[in-house]
Amino acid sequence: MSTPSAPPSAVRSTLAHDKLGTFSLLHFSLTAATPLTVIAGGVVVMFAVAGQIGIPLGYIVIAACLWLFSVGYTTMSRHITNAGAMYAFIARGLGRIPGVAAAWVAATSYCAMQACLYGLLGVTAEGVMDRIGLTVPWWAAALVAWLLIGLLGTRAVDINAKVLAVLLMVEIAVILLFSASNFMNAADGLSLAPLSPGSFGGEAAGAVLALAVVGFIGFESPTVYGEEARDRRRTVARATIATVGILAFIYITASWSIITAVGEDDVVAAASADPSGLMFALAGDQLGGAWVTIGEVLLLTSVTAAALSFHNTTARYLFALGREQVVTARLGRTSVRACAPVAASLTQTAVGGIVIALWAVLGLDPLTHLFFYLGTAAGIGLLALITACAVAVAVYFWRDQRGESTWHTRVAPVLACVALAGVLYLSVIHFHTLLGVEKGSLLPRLVPILFAALALLGAGWAAYLKRARPEVYAGIGYGAKATLVQSTGGVEASPEVARGR
Amino acid sequence: MPDAPTPRLVYDALLITSHHDFYKPAVAPRVAELGIGAALVAELVLSGHVAVRPEDGSRLAPRDIGVAPPADSLGLWLTELVRAEPEPLPVPEWLEFLAVSDLYSKTADHMVTTGLMHRTERRSRWRKASQVSYEPVDAFIAQAPLARIRRHLTSMEQRMPLPDAFLVALTEAVGLSRSLYSQTPYGARDYARSHTRSLPAPLQALHGHLAAAVAATAITGNL
Repeated sequence: MSTPSAPPSAVRSTLAHDKLGTFSLLHFSLTAATPLTVIAGGVVVMFAVAGQIGIPLGYIVIAACLWLFSVGYTTMSRHITNAGAMYAFIARGLGRIPGVAAAWVAATSYCAMQACLYGLLGVTAEGVMDRIGLTVPWWAAALVAWLLIGLLGTRAVDINAKVLAVLLMVEIAVILLFSASNFMNAADGLSLAPLSPGSFGGEAAGAVLALAVVGFIGFESPTVYGEEARDRRRTVARATIATVGILAFIYITASWSIITAVGEDDVVAAASADPSGLMFALAGDQLGGAWVTIGEVLLLTSVTAAALSFHNTTARYLFALGREQVVTARLGRTSVRACAPVAASLTQTAVGGIVIALWAVLGLDPLTHLFFYLGTAAGIGLLALITACAVAVAVYFWRDQRGESTWHTRVAPVLACVALAGVLYLSVIHFHTLLGVEKGSLLPRLVPILFAALALLGAGWAAYLKRARPEVYAGIGYGAKATLVQSTGGVEASPEVARGR
Repeated sequence: MPDAPTPRLVYDALLITSHHDFYKPAVAPRVAELGIGAALVAELVLSGHVAVRPEDGSRLAPRDIGVAPPADSLGLWLTELVRAEPEPLPVPEWLEFLAVSDLYSKTADHMVTTGLMHRTERRSRWRKASQVSYEPVDAFIAQAPLARIRRHLTSMEQRMPLPDAFLVALTEAVGLSRSLYSQTPYGARDYARSHTRSLPAPLQALHGHLAAAVAATAITGNL
């Protein structure tokens, strides 16, 4: 005899039609990553900086670390609100004081990552303009892009997503075309040496791993849409892991193809001689000169898309912090007609404008001093953020498994902690290689000290809020729902809130 | 709680979110639908047809104790839906549902029958589907609700009626703070805040969920 099932909910049936599937979430996360920027602006530089051919292996290592991290991260996202921001995970896992410390580091890192892209953008635009006979200083081209990004940033996110989606499809098609062409024009035949453990190591290993992590930023974004996902248990996890897998495939294929086309003995020298143009020069030799221009124009749109994507992420962080009143509540304002986080977006635009103006006035090199120095420093900050988030996930599930499997709550999170801590350690101690300065010089030591100081300031601010403004403190980590927690006095808060940590 | 026999709150919410500013939508369509939905739920809470239980995850449940069904079709529609659910659902799910139920058109049609709005149907030359638009019969009617609550905020002489206090909170939650507080005297925000804090717990929870839903819309860009 069959048991009678509960009558269906008409409301939930209606809402189910509008839920997002894996492909929709994949669209959001892949548009947040801009692979051509990573390959043309990052991979070739990695050959030059690291002086070795193990870059594809570096991507495999990082993809494995992020896959392990994603297992616990997406599992925890089912149990918390504001799952789009890593500091929220840290606030729930380790407490609100480390959460605010992480939020300050995260906001600064994302902000720096976005601002650094104006350097690459300016230099790329300068090159494209030069090719058509126009002389434009890098900062003028960067300011045009800055204005465009500032305008799009105050529009609704879905408009940006459509722009980014078109650019992404073209980018992936061109990368795959260039990679296929590289493999078909192999210098010494297909070599498996770039994938052998011996090809990767030494003083540059940390530098390669830190740069590789930056290429995957955006993989974490499906959790933002957790509440709108068709199946919160599976859809977000599938989209996050698929993002890591797809990006890893693109990066490994493209970097391996460059080694194959140039030859494993010559790739380092070729990359050092032409770090920003090697990929397009290969395409020009193999497919025709027009592809160099096509590649450079696409790199320009790709860097613009990357800057827009990081602009949106930074604005989202600042908006959530404004809503929680952890920073000024003005940052939590939305635009009336477009419902975009307008105050946070304008703040990020102002920071970008100041950075461009400062670098232009001081006459600093846009590629080395802006894109590379600021970008790698931001990469260290983001790596520290992901590592802290991995620890928070492990601690969160150590207290209570919440009905999830041991693999998702114990094994994978602990392995992710160990792996990411190792990567962070290597990145910090090899940071001088990344910056191309002597070991023991001031700059590589200054960046970790700066992030540590920021974290301490954030923690101090959180401690002040705990004592002086407990209602604000109660809402830390809740993002959009902070006012709800604050106004209801924690009625809807999680057990962590109830315990007052 | 006092009776709210007419669906005035929901009319006011529609006019404030969609028509107070020269007949142009003041806020994004989804935000307007969320605001109108919250107003409809608030009306039914005030009239005692449904209950929001903040202590039970803000679930929306029907109330059966000596209350006649709502006289208007809008209230009746939602009350019947709440009653038909196998178990009470949380307010965020109801707001989400109301936001995708074309509540704007339902409410505007209702206002057409009461003589507050005009319904205009235009058949496109290029597309087979016709376009329906709604306009207030009078610009003064469109601006009246915002003018009324702004008058409270300007005079600050006595306590606002409960529906108006909720309407002030709703107007702020949908992002119209600038329109609400423009040229109001010093202390207007504190005056409004004190009213929001003294709303009954179910309306406070409803307001909190509305503000959270609007903020989530800004983060995800799901308009």
